[in-house]
Amino acid sequence: MTAVELIVSSLLLGGFVAAGGAYGILLSLGHALRDARWRRLALAAYAVQCIFAVAVVVFTPLDWWWKLLIGASDAAYYFVPPMTWRYLISLHDLPEESSR
Amino acid sequence: MIAQPAYESQRLGMKYFAAAITLFGVMIVAGLAAAASYVVPGFLPGLPFSIQKILHIDTLIIWLLMGFLGSIYYLLPLEYKRDLVGMKLANAVFWIFCGTVAAVALTFIFVQIGPGTEKTLWLVNQGRKYVEAPRWASVIITIGIAVFMYNVIATAVLAKRMTGVLWVLIADLVPLFALYLIAFPAITNMSADQFWWWWLVHFWVEATWEVLMACIVAIMLMQLLNTKRNIVETWLYIEVALVLGTGVLGIGHHYFWIGAPKYWMGIGGLFSALEPLPLLGMVVHAIYDAGEHKMQVANRPAFFWMLAEAFGNFIGAGIWGFMITLPQVNMFAHGTQWTASHGHFAFWGAYGCGVITVIYLALQHQRKAESFNGTAWKWGFGMLNLGMIGMAGALLVSGMTQAFYERAIGGSTLSAFIAAQQNPWFVEGMWMRLASGLLFAGGYFVLVYDFLTIGRRVEVTAPAAPVLSGSAGD
Repeated sequence: MTAVELIVSSLLLGGFVAAGGAYGILLSLGHALRDARWRRLALAAYAVQCIFAVAVVVFTPLDWWWKLLIGASDAAYYFVPPMTWRYLISLHDLPEESSR
Repeated sequence: MIAQPAYESQRLGMKYFAAAITLFGVMIVAGLAAAASYVVPGFLPGLPFSIQKILHIDTLIIWLLMGFLGSIYYLLPLEYKRDLVGMKLANAVFWIFCGTVAAVALTFIFVQIGPGTEKTLWLVNQGRKYVEAPRWASVIITIGIAVFMYNVIATAVLAKRMTGVLWVLIADLVPLFALYLIAFPAITNMSADQFWWWWLVHFWVEATWEVLMACIVAIMLMQLLNTKRNIVETWLYIEVALVLGTGVLGIGHHYFWIGAPKYWMGIGGLFSALEPLPLLGMVVHAIYDAGEHKMQVANRPAFFWMLAEAFGNFIGAGIWGFMITLPQVNMFAHGTQWTASHGHFAFWGAYGCGVITVIYLALQHQRKAESFNGTAWKWGFGMLNLGMIGMAGALLVSGMTQAFYERAIGGSTLSAFIAAQQNPWFVEGMWMRLASGLLFAGGYFVLVYDFLTIGRRVEVTAPAAPVLSGSAGD
């Protein structure tokens, strides 16, 4: 890995997680505010995350299994925020239990 | 909101908070001295950089540990509905703990080093990063944690009341105690020593402390936001499973360059890569809670610090951590200011913000205030968090410069090290870190002022808009 590849790789990896975080935050805001515009922005953030993932695959000298991991993580990131949100809603609908 | 009388253990919790915040201040002073030494070498004659750094990182561990102990002592009576058992012993341990910390700090400042004999290990410095405290002090810390375990477990037995949060907490106290025992052996094989030392440093931080913090947050959510117990406990189980599932084997990222077997690269890289996912779930949960309460709660400072914890943890541990966690990048970044940048941000987000949240909650309870708000906490919140973002950003620039010039181009030679240290990007980053540290220190003073006065001072609110006379409605 050259010096430039090092900086590019790390920035792309950081950007990948940052875009995933932005997707989660914007999607949650969209649900909390019941505003479709936030959800569209969330999808845009996820698209940016996908671009980061592709860039990691194409432009970094990481071994192929790390690239595969980034691809799989990218898919997982898509599902984590909506699943968490749905789970939180179903959890809040449960009746209160007395402590043991 | 909470209205129980103050228990003895809650009074002890307040003492721990006072000690924790005092040590937080010592940590900042030592950090500023170390930051200044980077840009003005020999800044403090008589106190070398190595000692400044020891004071900075050891007080970091101790202020957070005291904050956790204070949080548990304060919040646990709310779970047990009674005072904790063995409070006289716990009070004695508190004062011994404080005396020990002061004695160790004075030893570091005035004695500094010894001849490297067994006597040095016992009386001056054990020489292992983060657990430099001499062995006699480590023995006292171990006894202190044992007494803490006794307080919690004996109370559970006597109260005959167990909740999910208590089960998780008690299960977590065992490794909290046992892992600290690794502070004692002096293994001469460097690889073996580092291997076990990481068990102490990593598992304390990314396993037992995370779980302890999760238990504290769980009790806090019930008190602060009146969240239902079954919700909090279910979420606690999931969070603990995810954090442990990724964090335990994530220890592998510390084994990359210490002579451990090569398979740790794959294991460490894989599980470290998964670590941001539970952190993302926490951010979603924080936004859900904020939306549920429309950002309106009786204790706004505590609420905002709790949000800062979720976001800070995600950014500091998740984004900053992921930049350097894969082995091919880590090889160049390991041990540079880049890792210091990640460490600052992650510790602050994961633990510092959490301890401050509990203190605000406890203060509201102590001062029997209907609600907590005002202006000072906003300044403290802004200055501390902006200061931390500034420090983490500046260290990132300096660390990238080191990785670029010293490691990737220079091949880690001594001359490459010197060249990187003199590089303008590195130097300006260190100046920026010092400036951000000063902003952070200013935020600390505002925070302390707010802790001392919130709920006691009279807040001046803006006058209501005047009603126009003779308007159409009259």
